Amino acid sequence: MLFSAKHQRNNRVSATNKNKTLNKVSSISSAPPLSQDSQKRSLVTMEDVWEDINLGSIQSQHPQGNHEPRFSSHNHQSQNPNSIFQDFLNRPLNQEPTIPTIGSSSNGDTTTVTALFSSSPLPPPATVLSLNSGAGFEFLDNQDPLVTLNPNLHSHHQLNTPFEALVTTTCFGKKRGRESNEEGSGNRRNKRMIKNRESAARSRARKQECASPPLLTFFLKNGFCQQKAYDLIKGFMGFDSHLQAYTNELELEVAHLQAENARLKRQQDQLKMEAANQQPKKNTLQRSSTAPF
Amino acid sequence: MSLSNRDPLVVGRVVGDVLECFTRSIDLRVTYGQREVTNGLDLRPSQVANKPRVEIGGEDLRNFYTLVMVDPDVPSPSNPHLREYLHWLVTDIPATTGTNFGNEIVTYESPRPNSGIHRIVLVLFRQLGRQTVYEPGWRQQFNTREFASLYNLGLPVAAVFYNCQRESGCGGRRS
Repeated sequence: MLFSAKHQRNNRVSATNKNKTLNKVSSISSAPPLSQDSQKRSLVTMEDVWEDINLGSIQSQHPQGNHEPRFSSHNHQSQNPNSIFQDFLNRPLNQEPTIPTIGSSSNGDTTTVTALFSSSPLPPPATVLSLNSGAGFEFLDNQDPLVTLNPNLHSHHQLNTPFEALVTTTCFGKKRGRESNEEGSGNRRNKRMIKNRESAARSRARKQECASPPLLTFFLKNGFCQQKAYDLIKGFMGFDSHLQAYTNELELEVAHLQAENARLKRQQDQLKMEAANQQPKKNTLQRSSTAPF
Repeated sequence: MSLSNRDPLVVGRVVGDVLECFTRSIDLRVTYGQREVTNGLDLRPSQVANKPRVEIGGEDLRNFYTLVMVDPDVPSPSNPHLREYLHWLVTDIPATTGTNFGNEIVTYESPRPNSGIHRIVLVLFRQLGRQTVYEPGWRQQFNTREFASLYNLGLPVAAVFYNCQRESGCGGRRS
C-alpha cells in the first residue's frame, strides 16, 4: 500500500506540470522524501527498481520522436520485449512517472535499468494520461507533434511501404482520385498513424490486469516470454483476489460472531439478575390455619 | 460512490462508448459454462455460443430488471459504424433471480466477430415496474442510452463486459 501511495503522490505533483523540463524536477524534489531515501539505501528493493525504471523513462523523454519507437515496438513485439513492459508501466500506474532524483541515481543496480530504458524511450505522458482521461486523442488532433514526428517516421515508413502501396493504390487511388503522390502519401501515413494509435489505445484498454510490476520484471529478467509472464501473473492475481475475498468474509464473520457473543452475554446477565430478584419471592405460600377444627 | 478512473469499465471505454458513468448497486453474475465473466475476460465464439447463466442480486422480488447485451465494436473496433449490435434483451427479471425468469424480448445471438477484438457488454437496468418493451426492428445501430431513456430505465445498476474475437484470432498481436 505504501507503494501505491508513493505513486499517487507523484501523480498529483506531476500532473500539474505538463512541461517535461526542470519544472518537474524542482517540484518533485520537494515531494515525498521516501523516494530519495530509497535512493540512498545501498540495497535496492524491487520497488526502487520500479521507481528507477520510471525515472529512467522520463529522463530520456522528449516530446517528439517517441512515438516512432513505440509503434515499431507494437508492430514488432518480438524484437523489443520491453515494449510490453512499457505498456504495463503505462497502464497500471497510469500516471506520469517520477523523476525525483535524476542526478543522484547512480547506483550500480539502477543504471543498468535506466540504460535499458533509455534505449527504448517511453512515449510522453500525454499518451499515458490519455488513457485515463479519455482525451487521448487530443494529442492526435494537435498538429504539431504529427508534423515533428514525420521525419522520425521515415524509417518506420519504410517498413510499411509494401502494405501502404497496396492500400493506397487499391483504396485511396481509386476513391480519392489522383492526388499528387507526395501529399497523398503524407496524408495516408498520418491516417495510418492515427489508426495505429487508436488500435494501440484499444489494446491498452483491453489489458485490464494491473499486474504488479516488480513481479513482471522478475519474470522477464528470468527468461519468461512476456505472454508467459502475463499468464503467471494473472494466476497470481487470481489467488490474491480469492485470498482477499476469503479474508474479508472471515473478518465479517468474526465481527458478526463477536457481536452475537456480546449480545448473548448481556442476555445471560439479565436473566441471572431476574432470577436473583425472583428468589426472595418464593416460598410466599405458607400454610396457615384457617379452619376452627 | 461512482466508478473510479481505474475501474475496468472506464479503462475499457465501456463507460463512454456505451454507457454513462454510473454506480454499481446490484450484483450481476454472468457465467458461460464454468467461466464466470470478469471485465476484460477473453472469450472465443465457441465459448459463448450458448446463452450464459445470468444471476442478479437485489433483495425485493417485486423489483424487475432489464438485461441488455450489446457489441459496440461492430463491424470492427477501428470502424464501428454499426455500433451497437444487440445480441440479447431480457426484461422483467425479478431481483435475486436470473434471466430464466424474465421475458426474452430479443433472443440470444452468439457473438461471432469477424474483424478485430470486440467488447461484448452486458448491462442491467432497473425497471420502474413491469412494463411492455417492444423489440427493436433490427439488431444493429442499437443505442443503449436511447433505449434506457425511452423506457425510463435510468442509469445502469450493473454492467460487465468481455472481449471476443475470431476463433483463430491472434489475440491482437501481429505476427
